[in-house]
Amino acid sequence: MPNIAVFIEQRDGAIKKVAWQMISQARRLADAAGGEVWAVLLGGDANAAAGPAGAHGAHKLFHAGDQLAAYDSERYGVALATFCRAQKPDLVLVGATALGRDLAPKTAAKLGCACVSDAIALTFEGGAWEVRRPVYAGKCFVDVVPKTAPAIVGIRPNAFVAQEGTGAPAPVVAFDAGQAQVTPKAVVREIVTATAGRVELTEADIVVSGGRGIKGPEHYALIEDLAAALGAAAGASRAVVDAGWVDYSHQVGQTGKTVGPNLYIACGISGAIQHLAGMSSSKCIVAINKDAAAPIFKVADFGIVGDLFEVVPALTEAVRKIRG
Amino acid sequence: MKIAVCVKQVPDSETRISLAAPAAKLDQTGFTRVLNPYDAYAVEEAVRIKEARGGEITAITVGPETVKETLKKDCLAVGCDKAIIINDPALAEADEAAIAEVLCAALRKDAYDLVLFGIKAIDDDSGQVGILVAEKLGLPHVSTVTKLELGDGRLTAHREIEGGKEIVDCPLPAVLTCQKGLNEPRLPSLPNIMKAGMKPMQVVTCADLGIAPPTSLVQVKQYSPPPARGTCRLVGGDDAAAAARELARVLNEEAKVI
Ligand SMILES: Cc1cc2nc3c(=O)[nH]c(=O)nc-3n(C[C@H](O)[C@H](O)[C@H](O)COP(=O)(O)OP(=O)(O)OC[C@H]3O[C@@H](n4cnc5c(N)ncnc54)[C@H](O)[C@@H]3O)c2cc1C
Ligand SMILES: Nc1ncnc2c1ncn2[C@@H]1O[C@H](COP(=O)(O)O)[C@@H](O)[C@H]1O
Repeated sequence: MPNIAVFIEQRDGAIKKVAWQMISQARRLADAAGGEVWAVLLGGDANAAAGPAGAHGAHKLFHAGDQLAAYDSERYGVALATFCRAQKPDLVLVGATALGRDLAPKTAAKLGCACVSDAIALTFEGGAWEVRRPVYAGKCFVDVVPKTAPAIVGIRPNAFVAQEGTGAPAPVVAFDAGQAQVTPKAVVREIVTATAGRVELTEADIVVSGGRGIKGPEHYALIEDLAAALGAAAGASRAVVDAGWVDYSHQVGQTGKTVGPNLYIACGISGAIQHLAGMSSSKCIVAINKDAAAPIFKVADFGIVGDLFEVVPALTEAVRKIRG
Repeated sequence: MKIAVCVKQVPDSETRISLAAPAAKLDQTGFTRVLNPYDAYAVEEAVRIKEARGGEITAITVGPETVKETLKKDCLAVGCDKAIIINDPALAEADEAAIAEVLCAALRKDAYDLVLFGIKAIDDDSGQVGILVAEKLGLPHVSTVTKLELGDGRLTAHREIEGGKEIVDCPLPAVLTCQKGLNEPRLPSLPNIMKAGMKPMQVVTCADLGIAPPTSLVQVKQYSPPPARGTCRLVGGDDAAAAARELARVLNEEAKVI
C-alpha cells in the first residue's frame, strides 16, 4: 500500500503551514494511488492538530510527545526513523524548513533510504514516485525517482496549495518513538528570536525586496512599510546585504533564501542571475526600476519604470486603501 | 586540531543553462568551475582555527581531476595543508548518499576532531551531504552554522533558523555545515598560490579507500527547462503616484494577488 507519512512541524506548539500544504497534496496522491495519509507529530498538542490534519486530508495522526517538545536532530531523527520502521510508509514528506532540512537527511541516513531535497512537484506514475526539484538555483528542473521505500522527500514551502475540506479530525494514534534511550550529544542550549512577529521570508505569501536602488540603509523602511501594508516579508538583494544595510537573513538569491510566493515585488533590483535564482519561481513578479532595460523586467509579469522613491510610497498608500 | 574540509567544485553562479527541451543529461561544456561558495566559509573557518590553536587541515573532494586548480588556489593557497581527490569513473552519476559514503571512507582513514562542510552545493542545491556523513560516522552535527566558538573538547555553534538562531553545545569530534555570515573568506595571494603547488595532493579511487563504489539511492530521469514566463506588462500613468495606484488596482482586481 503506497501510504504517505507527512511530518508535521511544530515549534512552541504552533504548526508550520507547509504541513497543511503537504497533507493536502499527499491526500490527492494517496487517493489516486490507493493509500492513506498519516500525519506524524512529535511533541506539541495532538488533539489541537488532529482537527486541521483531518480537515486537510490526513487519515490518522501519529503522535509521540515525551521529551520531544523542542527539536534536536538526534531525538527527532530516532523518533521519525522508529516510526518508519514500524509503520512502513512508502513516502515521508518533510517541509524544507530550517528544521526539515536538518531532519530529513539525518533520518534518511539512519534508515539508509533515499532522500530528495526541496521538491516542488510529486507524482505517482506506474507504481513509482517521481519528484521534481529545481537545481542550479532554479535555472533548471530535475525529475528523479527514489529507489528505496521509504523515500524521504523535502517539500518547498508554498509549492503545494493547502485545501481545507470538511473531513473529521484525524484519529490520534500514540506511538513509542524509541527516543527515551537517546542522549543527544549536540544540545540546543538556547533559542534566540531576533524578530518576533516578523513574517518569515521562505513561508510568506508576498515578498517585497529592496536592492541597491534604495541608496542607503535609512531607506529600507520604504520596503518595510510596503511589506507591512501587504502583510508581506521584507527581502533584499545581496548588494544591500553586503553593504551592511540589512541583515543576511533578508537576502534572496542563489546564496541567500529561495522564495516562491504568490507575489514578489522587486524594488530597485537589477535582476542579476544570482538574484533571479532565488525568486524566479514566484507566481507573480512585479518590478519597480528606473531603468527600462534592467533584466528584472525580463522575468516580471508587471512593472513600473520609475523612481522607487516616488512609486513605492504611493503604492504603499494605494495598498492600504485597498486592504482597508 | 585535525580538521577535514569537504569541498566540491561547482559551476560558477553566473552559469547559464540552456535547455530547449527535456534531456537525460545536462550539457556541461563551457561551464566555468569554481569552489562552491559555501565551502569557502568552511575552508576559512578551518584556517582560522588552525591559526588560533595549531593543527592540520585536509581538504577532501569527490570529483574529476579537473578540480586540482581549484583545490590549489582556494584551499591549499589559503592555508589547507593537503588535499585528497577521490576520482573514480564509477562515481560519475553518484547521488548525495553515494558521495557521503565515499567521503566517510576517506574520513575513516584518519582521526579528525572537526569535519567541515558547506550548507549546500549550488549545483544540486541539496544540503544533505554533511548531515549524511555525520550520521554515517556516528558523529554529532550542527547544520547552518553562522558563528563558532571552540572550547576544550567542545564547541558552541550558532545555527540559523527562521526568524532567529539556536545556540548549540556539542562535544568534539563533530561535523558542521557552514553558512554565510560565519566569516569572510580571504583571497589567496600570488606567492601562496605558487607555494601551494608544493603541498601534497593525493588522487585515489574507491578501491584505494577499500570500498566498492556505492550505489545511488535516487535515479535521475530527466532535466527540463523551467516554464517560460510571459512578457512584462508595463503599468503607467500621469505620474508615479497614478502608476502606483493603477498597479495596485491591477494586482488586486486582475492578478488577484493582493
Ligand atoms: C557567487 C555569487 C553569489 C551571489 N548571490 C547573490 C544572491 O544570493 N542574491 C543577490 O541578490 N545577489 C547575489 N549575487 C550578486 C549579484 O550578482 C548582483 O551583484 C546583485 O544581485 C545586485 O544587486 P542589486 O540588483 O540590488 O544592485 P544593482 O545591480 O546595482 O541594481 C540596482 C538597480 O536599482 C535601480 N535603481 C537605482 N536607483 C533607482 C531608483 N531611484 N528607483 C528605481 N530603481 C532604481 C537601477 O536601475 C538598477 O537596476 C551573487 C554574486 C555572486 C558572484
Ligand atoms: N563531491 C563532493 N566532494 C566533497 N564534498 C562534497 C561533495 N559534494 C558535496 N560535498 C560537501 O557537502 C556539502 C553539501 O552538498 P550537497 O548536499 O550536495 O548540497 C557541500 O557544501 C560540500 O561541503
